[in-house]
Amino acid sequence: MQVPLRPEIDTGTGATSGERARAMIEIASVSKRFETSGRKSHLALSDINLTVDDGAFVSILGPSGCGKSTLLYIVGGFVAPSEGVARMKGTTITGPGPDRGPVFQEFALFPWKTVLGNVTYGLRQQGVKRGEAEAQSLRLIEMVGLKGFEHFYPKELSGGMKQRVAIARTLAYRPSVLLMDEPFGALDAHTRTRLQNDLLNIWERDRKTVLFVTHSVEEAVFLSDKVVVMTRAPGRIKQIVDIDLPRPRIRAELLLDSHYQKYVVDIERMIDDGRDDAEHS
Amino acid sequence: MTSARSIIAKLSPLLACLGLLAVWQIAALWLDTESFPTASHALQTVPQILGDPEQLLNILDSIRRMVIGFSLAVLISIPLGLAMGRSARVSAFFNPLLMMIYPVPKAALMPVIMLWLGVGDASKTLVIFLGVSLPVIYHSFQGAKAVEEKMLWSGAAMGLNGLQRMVRIVLPAALPEILTGCRTGLVLALITMVTSEMIARQSGAGNILFNAMDMAQYDTVFAMIIIIGALGIVLDAAFDKLRWRLVKWAEPHQEILLGAS
Amino acid sequence: MSAQRLATALMGALPILFVLAVWQALCSFGYAPPSLLPPPGKVFLRLAQQLGNVGFLDDILATLIRLFAGFLVAVVLGVGIGLAAAVVPAINAVVRPLVQVLAPLPKVALYPALIILFGFDHASKITLVTLDALFPILLSTYYGASMVEQKLVWSALAAGTPRWQILFKVIAPAALPSILTGCRIGLVISCIVVFLAEMISSTDGLGHLLVGAARTFQTVDMFVPLITISLLGLTLNGLLYGLRKYLLRGFPEV
Repeated sequence: MQVPLRPEIDTGTGATSGERARAMIEIASVSKRFETSGRKSHLALSDINLTVDDGAFVSILGPSGCGKSTLLYIVGGFVAPSEGVARMKGTTITGPGPDRGPVFQEFALFPWKTVLGNVTYGLRQQGVKRGEAEAQSLRLIEMVGLKGFEHFYPKELSGGMKQRVAIARTLAYRPSVLLMDEPFGALDAHTRTRLQNDLLNIWERDRKTVLFVTHSVEEAVFLSDKVVVMTRAPGRIKQIVDIDLPRPRIRAELLLDSHYQKYVVDIERMIDDGRDDAEHS
Repeated sequence: MTSARSIIAKLSPLLACLGLLAVWQIAALWLDTESFPTASHALQTVPQILGDPEQLLNILDSIRRMVIGFSLAVLISIPLGLAMGRSARVSAFFNPLLMMIYPVPKAALMPVIMLWLGVGDASKTLVIFLGVSLPVIYHSFQGAKAVEEKMLWSGAAMGLNGLQRMVRIVLPAALPEILTGCRTGLVLALITMVTSEMIARQSGAGNILFNAMDMAQYDTVFAMIIIIGALGIVLDAAFDKLRWRLVKWAEPHQEILLGAS
Repeated sequence: MSAQRLATALMGALPILFVLAVWQALCSFGYAPPSLLPPPGKVFLRLAQQLGNVGFLDDILATLIRLFAGFLVAVVLGVGIGLAAAVVPAINAVVRPLVQVLAPLPKVALYPALIILFGFDHASKITLVTLDALFPILLSTYYGASMVEQKLVWSALAAGTPRWQILFKVIAPAALPSILTGCRIGLVISCIVVFLAEMISSTDGLGHLLVGAARTFQTVDMFVPLITISLLGLTLNGLLYGLRKYLLRGFPEV
């Protein structure tokens, strides 16, 4: 398959030292092959090269089964690449660590802990004293809009509230990078919009690096500085689109903005091309 | 490579048996007392027991009682459990009574039942029946309760009446759970059989076991343990195969084997 | 709502009352001679009397000691082995076939061997209780622990939990509902098995009381230990239910 536009690849080798210091995550020639039953294996990711700058909001966009979550898990250190390396601040990633905080579509809250217990967990794990950890957690819980729910158990919360807790739990231990795996995919449209807005507001405060996996084009364009468009399996990077829209972004204005609309339409077309390719091959 | 691994996986229970026998053998040689024969000794005694027509008949009698008790229990418990699962009223009616009976060792009713029905087949079969019933009722109840309401709505929309819905929708949908109950019941049937015979001490496998114990025929004691144990393992494996054929379509799910009466 | 609950309770009490009524009727109208079936009033009166009797309480105590000792050993072994098998593939490879063979084995049949090895006293009965209660606890722990949501583990790892702590901080608490279900089954089994073991060979305990009464055809005394063990089982079950409810207060209803 011919890739129509070569993505701008920055493997780090050609970059000047100044640019290099700004790179938070580097993914170099990463492939991932899953052994399925017997001799068969499934190539989920093929030769991925990607650099994520410090403070950038980067979305990975693609059809389901394109390996976009797998790529995120490799950066998280949960899954090892079959070939290539992923680096965090220049250090090869070998396992999970508190510098990269995941937020999953399934929330993955600890059901045996209250909201406060969940948010405090990471801080306690870092050796922060209980009183201090709880004080910090309470501030975070208020920031994500859950003041008054500190002593609730996850089962007593709605989906959107659960995801707010999960975000607070991850923010609590101050990771340098947020790894968000379709975080709003299980929520209804209304809740989803609200959480997108709130996420942007939180992000505007400290501009953490975010790697955000989604299959919603609108969501990717609305949130990101860069959208990485992937092809259907085996997952390859088809194109990287810089989203040149002013921040802070206000949803009501953006939806009427012709630049925003053009980004959405262009990227949707890109994904459709990919599907035709896959179906014809 | 894969086939080699699957062969090992299939053989692993057999290997486990051999391992257990080996541990037994070593322990017996090490302890070296008359009352604890080696595994090889006990195994050699097995054909002697099975070759003796009187004892073989005794064991077959035990199995016959077990099969009758088990079958009757299954026939009555499944409809009762399903009805409890689909009707809040039926379950409210029977649940507390069953809760009361649950922790009573069914084989412990043996002395009482013997008073009423004598020491014959009837008492032992009844005790086995009681032992098997509860888990089968319980699992049928759980299975029927978990049936998706919308499946029943579709059935009603297609014109099935209440009984038809029960037989054509609830029963098959609850089958995996029911069969888990039956499997537990099967193990319980065997246990209740042995225990009731140990208590009644008149005939059957349990009786041979304890008579040998009283007469210090330790080879026979351990040989009987092997026979009863093998019966348990073989019955369970056979039932598992049957179950697998019946509910191939079901998602694999956890199952907890109970083991007592 | 409480009226509805009351109605449900009454509904459930009906068959129990019905059984008692039939029992009483059988006695009152002379269908069952008292030597075969004593009237319920007499049985419960004797139970009340016996509860003030030191000898009877000693028997209950003996039964309880065996029950708890066997059950607790089974919990420790079952949870320990179950967790280990779920986490360590090498242990799994050994434990799985052994459990496949041993779980369906009728453990009561081993009782004579246990008597030969450990004598007639506590040890053989406790071992039998442990053997019987072990497998349901082990199996449910294993299934619970192997079905822990992968992303819970990932979340904890990312938050800086060392790998060796994951077992205690994530897997064990996440498997708790399953573990407690296994314990509940194991507890009922322990009740049953301890009684049976005492019936087969013992000099004390509730099971022994039943056998003793049966030998001398004291029907009233036969019913007393049966009812006692049933009440004991119900009480313990209720206590464990309360504990479960407290420990699992965060988990969604199963």
